[in-house]
Amino acid sequence: MRESKFEALKLELLQGGVAPVYIARTLLELEEHYTDLEQDALADGLSREEAERSALAALGSERHIAAAVLARPELRAWSVRYPRFAYCVRSATTIGLIPGMPVMFCIEHRPELTRWAAAIMAAATFIGGILALLDWMIVPV
Amino acid sequence: MSGVPELLVLRLLTDREMYGYEIVKAVRLVTGEAIGLGEGVIYPVLHWLEESGAVKAKRKSVNGRERVYYFVTTKGKKRLEHLSNEWQRVSGGVNSALGDPGGATGNA
Repeated sequence: MRESKFEALKLELLQGGVAPVYIARTLLELEEHYTDLEQDALADGLSREEAERSALAALGSERHIAAAVLARPELRAWSVRYPRFAYCVRSATTIGLIPGMPVMFCIEHRPELTRWAAAIMAAATFIGGILALLDWMIVPV
Repeated sequence: MSGVPELLVLRLLTDREMYGYEIVKAVRLVTGEAIGLGEGVIYPVLHWLEESGAVKAKRKSVNGRERVYYFVTTKGKKRLEHLSNEWQRVSGGVNSALGDPGGATGNA
């Protein structure tokens, strides 16, 4: 139940380009804060429903919290803060990966390629053996 | 009022490390509830202070709860000193204007 309390806030922060590390921290700290508020309210004699309402009211609306986070550009992901630099890095990485892709493919599919190479070598040895046998059997006139 | 949450948070964290909920309660206590921050809004302030190097955070597990404690850095102490001086200057100016607005205008 508790995990879904700040889902709307999470979505808004993600859409706003906030760095994932700060989104995770914000949600964790809000959850803990909410629990503290709820426990204090229960200790004050409020019912569970009243304690939940009171805790959420004290924290403030998710929209308000999201606005406070989004007002701090320093908390946004670097790719959002420096989009041109991010595009350059992405392009360079992509270009750099192109020549490496066959190698990566070979590493990733190493067992299949090993079996395939072994099968080819076995077939070549077999065919080569037959040809050598035929060469030996057929005596040139 | 811009910079007030930052000033208060840095001042409170110079005494001891605290987590968000503690900070909010301490702000309420030391200001006599004159300043009521929306409690959830404390975290962007803390994260921004961390990003700027004024505070550092560390996670601690306390009674099965995961707490993020904040403590002020040397840079944060310098920032606090600067903000305090600025606040004294501004509040002194405002107090002086409230006490003697004509004089303040006349001096300008």
